[in-house]
Amino acid sequence: MKLRFSQVIFSFAITLLLLIGFEILTATVFPALGWKEYRLTFNVLIILFLAIRLDSPGVPWMILGLQVIHSIFSVEGWALGTLAGVIVMISANYLKELLHLTTAFMTMLIVQFFQVIWFVTVSVVICLKVSDFSKFGMIVWSFIPGSILLSLISPVLFWLLANIWRVPSDSGSRGVEI
Amino acid sequence: MKLIQESSKTKIVNNAIVAILAIYGISQKNFNLDEPTLFTQVVTEVISPVQEGIADSKRSMSSLWENYLLIVNTSKENVVLKKQISRLESDLTNMDEVRKENLRLKQLLNFSDGISPQRVLAQVVGWDSANEFKVIRLNKGTNHGIKVMSPVITDQGLVGYVYRATPNYSDVLTILDQNNRVDVVVERTRTHGIVEGVMNFKCALKYVMRNEPVEVGDKLMTAGVGGIYPKGVKVGMITDIRKENFGMTLSIEVVPSVDFDKLEEVLVLLPVEEAATTASVEVVPQERKP
Repeated sequence: MKLRFSQVIFSFAITLLLLIGFEILTATVFPALGWKEYRLTFNVLIILFLAIRLDSPGVPWMILGLQVIHSIFSVEGWALGTLAGVIVMISANYLKELLHLTTAFMTMLIVQFFQVIWFVTVSVVICLKVSDFSKFGMIVWSFIPGSILLSLISPVLFWLLANIWRVPSDSGSRGVEI
Repeated sequence: MKLIQESSKTKIVNNAIVAILAIYGISQKNFNLDEPTLFTQVVTEVISPVQEGIADSKRSMSSLWENYLLIVNTSKENVVLKKQISRLESDLTNMDEVRKENLRLKQLLNFSDGISPQRVLAQVVGWDSANEFKVIRLNKGTNHGIKVMSPVITDQGLVGYVYRATPNYSDVLTILDQNNRVDVVVERTRTHGIVEGVMNFKCALKYVMRNEPVEVGDKLMTAGVGGIYPKGVKVGMITDIRKENFGMTLSIEVVPSVDFDKLEEVLVLLPVEEAATTASVEVVPQERKP
């Protein structure tokens, strides 16, 4: 299945709005309710969907666009997540024959696996940047609670994004070619 | 077959370009200071009012609930408070004398030389959406006189410094963040060290030698070294000291004096020259003269 360019633009715009909504939820609503210690990094989940379920040369640019919006809400900036997103996408390409998001449990498992790749990449780059590897364990540890929660909600979010991107549910890992 | 190869080639080229861009971006990234681009400023100015609205709604709801609880207890407290007022009125006369004396002594010792005479009151409207950074967003920016590197405090102690600022909003790198290092001094022993953010809303005091006589319960104040923070602001308290079998320094855990869980309002200290020129800004004047 191949999407038209106008459909791609529309789906991407909706995805950006969804990301903004989730970022406001994470940066303002949850802390206002008293949940300040761990963050749900929805940008990671959205980028994982694009990396795993879309088959297009334009995906890295979409990852870049999503990370630019994420950088409005985080001092992390756009670059770290973009690099991690591209690495995850390349890994997903190599493993595409093994990735079958057919059940909710498989989706959670695959999402958790790629989150680990994402967070290790980000942690290594941060440690290299600040020239201090003593913080590696601490950074990775801070990711764990949030990443497990993200994996648990990933089937719902993937279902939502699959509808936005019109990815057929029975299409295996590589849902839609753009 | 040729079509597939071309598609793969395009993917590889796109991946490579974006990855190179990202690596360049990382090399340029500074976790201690940021100059927002025009795009960042515009989007922040558009989106942050939503965050401000949500934070305000939460404050209103909390205030409504607290007011209700207060009314329930008001009649009981009223009797007790009347008695307290008469006692406090007599204390106040004595306190006024003490205050005047304190101000005179402060001036004599130039104690408040490093602290800005004017402060901008700002409200917290959001937190950083990434796990590894402990940053708060304030509803005041460069239009209100705030500049990057301005120190941020509350009546409880040190919060952090302004990391980036747009016209109406600014992001503060708190002392909980691992990229923020505060030069501190132990109040009791005058031992110097560096406070860094770790996890669970706690910090670590580093570079304190094993033979230093620091104890659990010792309070930490800013040392005034480094040019960001004024001297003498409360930072936190030592809650745990571990002497490892190796190394020359102690492993010290610090709990910040500011309760970040309940942080709603902060004061941004304006630079002295900025404070002098900012007249139209909502500021909290500091009493300096009796």
